[in-house]
Amino acid sequence: MTIRILLVDDHPIVRQGLKTLLEGRAGWEVIGEAADGAEAVEKARDLSPDVMVLDVTMPKMNGLEACRLLRRQVPQLEILFVTQHDSPQMMREALDAGARGYVVKSNAARDLLAAVEAVSQHRVFTALNGREVAGLH
Amino acid sequence: MRLRILLADDHEIVRRGLRSLLEKHEGWEVCGEASDGREAVEKALQLKPDVVIVDIGMPLLNGLDTTRQLLQHDPQFKVIVLTITDSDQVIREALDAGARGFVLKSDAARDLVSAVEALQNKRMFFTPRVNDLVLAGFLEKGHAITRNEAPKLPTLTAREREITQLLAEGNSSKEVASLLNLSTKTVETHRSNIMRKLSFHSIRDLVVYAIKNNLIQIEVPPQPPKTPAGPTAV
Repeated sequence: MTIRILLVDDHPIVRQGLKTLLEGRAGWEVIGEAADGAEAVEKARDLSPDVMVLDVTMPKMNGLEACRLLRRQVPQLEILFVTQHDSPQMMREALDAGARGYVVKSNAARDLLAAVEAVSQHRVFTALNGREVAGLH
Repeated sequence: MRLRILLADDHEIVRRGLRSLLEKHEGWEVCGEASDGREAVEKALQLKPDVVIVDIGMPLLNGLDTTRQLLQHDPQFKVIVLTITDSDQVIREALDAGARGFVLKSDAARDLVSAVEALQNKRMFFTPRVNDLVLAGFLEKGHAITRNEAPKLPTLTAREREITQLLAEGNSSKEVASLLNLSTKTVETHRSNIMRKLSFHSIRDLVVYAIKNNLIQIEVPPQPPKTPAGPTAV
């Protein structure tokens, strides 16, 4: 299955790590990258990815603000947060903002592929440390 | 001869990114990875890499104390510290600890290869801000930073610093004892000494101290918007 992915994180090294992991899957392609929320919105409009992998804490515009904007401007896009914040409250905010998925960076190597697959099929995927993984329909 | 590099960062995603960056360079090899400071020291002693790259904010043993321990074992280790901040205090501590390279994580894609090249050629590599501090006379005689000078952090011993970090990370005294192969009673004694030396009355004081002194690092979440919250989706 082809999935076109836009990576958004203010650290190029993190984007590189995510890209290495994602492009190991046949048919998955990282079609672009962005380093802040404003660039993420612009590139999502231009490139029409299927899934956006999005950090929370970024300069210029944080991930939550970007997500809210994108829900209005690019409604077909599915958003997966990959973040340092291992917090149920932050996760609720992210889902409220319109994200379909939320995984913690420290477990990204374990959870990311399943999360991208789930959200690309419009299923919710959330995973915090020490709490059960939910892959809800 | 290949240059062998050990990577220490608690995020596997970051290690993947660093590995991908470094292994593009001909003749360089990532010979091992560690996800915390204690594992980093263990693997460095076992693998004897040419360069060790350590994240400052690692669990169990932070990057600066990892650097100190490595150099206590063998002053020939060459360590590059990766950090999310280049505050004066962090720079001072990295220099104190004996790091030969200092790179901001946000600039790692740009600077890390240059840093490793510098260390390979027996030079040091620091961010421009460190050079500014040198020019501003920070390293004048009265404020000379040498590897042997006592760190600016107060009166805690190396063991006490280790225990402070582990307690601030949320470990109980029993858990700390298990991690450090000590008795719980010994850890409790260290804990009492730490609290007394720093005039603390609660674990909260300890956590604040650990954050302020870069024994642990936290990321501050973005401020919530001022508009009223909408209905909960979950």
